[in-house]
Amino acid sequence: MTNFFTILEIPISLSPDPERIESSWREKAKESGEADLHEARAVLTDPVRRLDHWLALQNVEPERGSSIDPEMMDLFSRLHSVLAEADQIIGGLKEASTALTRALLSKEAIAAQLAIQECMKTVREEKDLRIERYSSFEESAETGKFDGAVATLGQLKFLQKWEQQCQERLLTLLEY
Amino acid sequence: MEDEFIIGIDLGTTNSLVGVVDSGFPILLADENGERITPSVVSYREEADPLVGREAYRAKRLAPERTVSSVKRLLGRPFSDLTPEELNTLSYPVTNDGRDHIQIPVGKSEPVTPVDVSSEILRHLKQVAEAALECEVARAVITVPAYFNNAQREATKAAAQKAGLRVERIINEPTAAALAYGLDKIDDDQTVAVYDLGGGTFDLSILQMRDGVFEVISTAGDTQLGGDDIDQAVAGELAKTWELEDLSPSESVNLHTAAKEAKESLTAADSHTVRLPFLRDGRSFEHTFSRAEFEALILPVIERTRPICRRALAEAEGKEVKKIDHFILVGGSTRIPLVRDKIEEWFGYEPNLSQHPDEAIALGAAIQAGILCGRVRSIVLVDVTPLSLGIETFGGLMNVIIPRNSTIPAKAGEMFTNAVANQESIAIRVLQGERELAKDNWLLGEVIVPFENGPKGSARVGVQFAIDRDGILEVLARDTVTGKDHILEIRDAAVDVDDSEVENMVSESIEYAFEDMNERVWTEAKLKSEELLPAVDTALQMVGDQLDEKEMSQIKSAADEVRGLLSRGEKDAAVLKQANAALDDATQSLAALLVEAAFSDMTPG
Repeated sequence: MTNFFTILEIPISLSPDPERIESSWREKAKESGEADLHEARAVLTDPVRRLDHWLALQNVEPERGSSIDPEMMDLFSRLHSVLAEADQIIGGLKEASTALTRALLSKEAIAAQLAIQECMKTVREEKDLRIERYSSFEESAETGKFDGAVATLGQLKFLQKWEQQCQERLLTLLEY
Repeated sequence: MEDEFIIGIDLGTTNSLVGVVDSGFPILLADENGERITPSVVSYREEADPLVGREAYRAKRLAPERTVSSVKRLLGRPFSDLTPEELNTLSYPVTNDGRDHIQIPVGKSEPVTPVDVSSEILRHLKQVAEAALECEVARAVITVPAYFNNAQREATKAAAQKAGLRVERIINEPTAAALAYGLDKIDDDQTVAVYDLGGGTFDLSILQMRDGVFEVISTAGDTQLGGDDIDQAVAGELAKTWELEDLSPSESVNLHTAAKEAKESLTAADSHTVRLPFLRDGRSFEHTFSRAEFEALILPVIERTRPICRRALAEAEGKEVKKIDHFILVGGSTRIPLVRDKIEEWFGYEPNLSQHPDEAIALGAAIQAGILCGRVRSIVLVDVTPLSLGIETFGGLMNVIIPRNSTIPAKAGEMFTNAVANQESIAIRVLQGERELAKDNWLLGEVIVPFENGPKGSARVGVQFAIDRDGILEVLARDTVTGKDHILEIRDAAVDVDDSEVENMVSESIEYAFEDMNERVWTEAKLKSEELLPAVDTALQMVGDQLDEKEMSQIKSAADEVRGLLSRGEKDAAVLKQANAALDDATQSLAALLVEAAFSDMTPG
């Protein structure tokens, strides 16, 4: 198993110093064209991928088919309706072939954008909340306990997916 | 190893170039006639090797159906991907081989594939390089549009191998252009956007250059958008003006060549006269384009680049890149003044024209080749994958595994298990694209993951999806017992359909392509009228009171005109289209009022 921490010669940690990652990567990338270096940097600078990698290094298997945390269910249903609404507007915009018919949809399009941005903000807050728990995972790891980290990773993956979905809709709305 | 050259190749839609790094500087290599630019045209002959480049370009008028140009637009695409319009604009025939692969029947011999044609161009470039360098060349860096998908990249690589070249790296065209731009600014700290509008493809990439590192932040594009579409718009207009229908291949070639000349001439001149003597039945044709007329014709094509730019810029902004220091233009089509004006108008950036539109990409390819063989001091290049990679899950949805704009190389793992006892394997459909539904994305192929016998849920196979530095996918499965990875074959997912079915598909598409043009244009125009008229009524109700009398009467008379044409039974498509355009035009200010009203309604204060 590739250890991205070793590749960049930084200590294994769930919250490594970003500047150290950057400077170490830069120095090494200039010396060699090793493909793993870029990936190491990309993984270690992304909190979700970092947790995933850290767990893999501890030989902990990720949860399979995890379900949405009950505390995130409200967000999920809100997101679902906001995205469905946006898709409908995007569909209308795609069909509209004139500036006037698109303009008639602009009020709804702006409303959809604002709603998505609002949702995305909550998604990011939820993500940050979970990333803040990282230091507690390291403590539990010392006693061989990983269930908190594993469960959080499952939830973070959901949140990340939602963030991507929001982002995609926003970008598409922006095209009109 | 120092002595062994790696060449850099820009395999373009219209033109191709080859270069190397010599004494620390990238240079382009010329053929025996001193030409650095090779037209990407191959003309097949009976009982002789095909002509490539300038000679082939000249042969195009004489043997249009055996001369293949713009093959890059077909490379790596399934036949079913081609639209009737696209088929219609090609001057040579293409067919389906029965497995959804594109074939080009050129004369009596075996039909050729887009990979074959591309390999002829690459073989020619290899020979140009060998003659210029006076040594054998076996290794190359080849550029591709950033927005090329996996299949298009694979096809490019296959073409090179066929031409006897080992591909050391595939690099993205805008990234190559940025290398050419930044070679002498290695230690500067700046953010650049590269707007690359070539003969057939468009990309916009945003890069950060800092302390010897070139990092792509975001990229977006369209692999079917470029100078060819501009020529098509002009050629279409000529055919319309001269009332020429059912163009023969040679008429089509003549019109396109004339359109291309008009485009090039109007880059500097204010007007251009197209003359085509004895084009049909001994008749000659003439038409003068003013610059304004030309620009109105091609504006819709240029407009298509705008949402793509907005997407890439917004995504860079999401990654905390707020300011672009230089907006660099490359690709032959950026010579058109309208392109430069529009960029400034849309985004407020003064275009940076420091790079040679035709040569920057090839120079960048040469620099990358130079880095790989140690002829250039090390520059760290970090690129991204343009499209999200995913697999199809329950309900036909796409599950993203590696999101677009991820740094490459990238890997992501998924675990698979047997759903029933003693299931032998599972077929995973691998997709590329941004759409929610699997069927709306490109299907890269199918991977069969084998399981060991056992009760339900007992088998476990970890599958790694890896995108390498060339942006090409590899799928590995880990054997749980030995812990060893092995490569899974990505099978062409195109199913074998029987021949009669294919014939049907082909004849249908041809029928569709040649169906009565007036009928089709009329139906399209009628749809547009039916969309516009109720919209005008609604909009007038909402913000009509803010219009002055003149605007109001203009809109009303334009709308009445359209209504009148619809109720009369004449079905004159061109007239209705014109009336629609007039109404569309008359309602621009109305549309602006609506957007303005929406903004002030939705934003507080």
